[in-house]
Amino acid sequence: MMLLEARSVTKLFGCLRAVDAVDLTLAAGEVVGLIGPNGAGKSTLVNLISGLERPTSGTLVFAGHPLQGEGPAARARQGIARTFQVPQSFGTMRVRQNVAVAALFRGQPAASVPLALREADEVLEFVGLTAKADAVAETLTTPDLRRLELAKALALRPRLLLLDEVMAGLTPAEVNGLIAVVRDVGARGVGVLVIEHVLRAVMGLCSRIVVLHHGQKIADGARAEVVANPAVIQAYLGVPYGAAA
Amino acid sequence: MAEPTAGTSLTRAAEGLIAIVLVLLLAFIPLVASTYLIRILTGIFLFVALASAWNLIGGYAGYADFGPTAFLGIGAYTTGILMTQAHMPFPLALAAGGLCAMGAAAGIGAVLLRLRGHYFAIASLGFMLVMEQVAANLEITGGGSGMNLPVARGFTPFYYWMLTLALAAIGTGALVPRLRAGYALGAIRGNQEAAQVVGVRPLPYKVLAYVGSALFFALAGGVYAYWFTFIDPPTVFDPDFGIQAIVMVLFGGAGTVLGPAGGAIVLKSLDILLTNTSGLLHNVFFGGLICVLVLFAPRGLVELLRAGRRHLPDRRRLQRSGAG
Repeated sequence: MMLLEARSVTKLFGCLRAVDAVDLTLAAGEVVGLIGPNGAGKSTLVNLISGLERPTSGTLVFAGHPLQGEGPAARARQGIARTFQVPQSFGTMRVRQNVAVAALFRGQPAASVPLALREADEVLEFVGLTAKADAVAETLTTPDLRRLELAKALALRPRLLLLDEVMAGLTPAEVNGLIAVVRDVGARGVGVLVIEHVLRAVMGLCSRIVVLHHGQKIADGARAEVVANPAVIQAYLGVPYGAAA
Repeated sequence: MAEPTAGTSLTRAAEGLIAIVLVLLLAFIPLVASTYLIRILTGIFLFVALASAWNLIGGYAGYADFGPTAFLGIGAYTTGILMTQAHMPFPLALAAGGLCAMGAAAGIGAVLLRLRGHYFAIASLGFMLVMEQVAANLEITGGGSGMNLPVARGFTPFYYWMLTLALAAIGTGALVPRLRAGYALGAIRGNQEAAQVVGVRPLPYKVLAYVGSALFFALAGGVYAYWFTFIDPPTVFDPDFGIQAIVMVLFGGAGTVLGPAGGAIVLKSLDILLTNTSGLLHNVFFGGLICVLVLFAPRGLVELLRAGRRHLPDRRRLQRSGAG
């Protein structure tokens, strides 16, 4: 059984087909890359899966159960976690408390606030944010906010993790650190969908890559195959991957 | 909301000791102070309670409720009606007033709290205006001509009622950030969609904050009614109660534990001084204060104090970074 199955999912904004009849499958433990130019519908697809938007047509199936009327909170409790492209922290709370919220409200929540805070510390260590655990979230820099986004998502103990550009704006060393973190998450059996413009991260993490263009899926396959695909080169890459270097 | 997650037990014990001494001092004041001072303090406690209560919905949840006076009026009228018509003892009538307001807040909150930002602010104000009209047109409330409550023997009990309310409201404000519900509210205040994607269902927690805020407004209204013995719609549905509470919270620091109480104490004291000097000066001062506040300290005094401290070497922080 697939962890996530999207069947002909479509989202219209007025007459704009933001997501156009997209089919997508993702297995537990699989780390899949989702790439495409700006405005291709990647973030909208993540919104549809996490429940912040409702599809105009098509169905989403999570772990064998169709996701129909469930709102985002119910989906989070079932184990669907996501990060936001523009980090959305709980600004007045401390970093540790931000992460504890997820531990307190997931499907099988931490039994008490102190336990949730202790767990938050473990997650912060995992993503390399321990030094900022006591900082008020709104004082963080953007790279740290991206780490916090990831920490909040991981504290949900997700079965499916949707990463919307968590690596943007990070230094190459920081990207390497996060690649290791995400690889580790996938190795624990979590299905991961990685939206990323940092192609090195996608190539390093994902054996399979899906490409969206104007809302449509134009490629879905093994990494080497996809980056050699002429349609992908024309729509997104510009030059064959590796050629510029 | 951003309270330290790890305070040393020594500072916590010291804080507890200071709090106990303060409360004991306040409890003994009526034995020695003049009637005038007791009345002044009772008035201050009223606004400490209102500001701390408004902080639950306006600060912790970040929902600008512009009609909290609706619940003050509901509490005042329920207490008054039950005392005069049903001849209930005051504490029982007061409790009933609190329950009524909680019920009303749960019902109306479940609808209004689906709105966001300015829409909620306007709708909550509308709710208050509707309640005032209801009170003015019912027979049981005495309509526009108001209602007389039994006259209490002595003033000192009101001092203790208001002191208790103020302490209970501050206590609730201190407790909430430590609770699971407080974490939900902090998340909702930060970003509602981000809260949802980590499993928080916003509406029940917003309603909870609204109901808690309504309870204290209603209890304050009940005590106020018995204290002043006469109530009519313009007095107990006076939007000024809510507006003053809001300004006090913004002045002190929205979403902080002690900020609203501090704001209430400072502003109410100034208010009394200025009213004694000149009524005109009083209005000019508060109008001006709101402008200055919005421009220079949109997060209140507490945040200013914190910012000031950030520039000084903080021994606790140095120790922590040394240990880490």
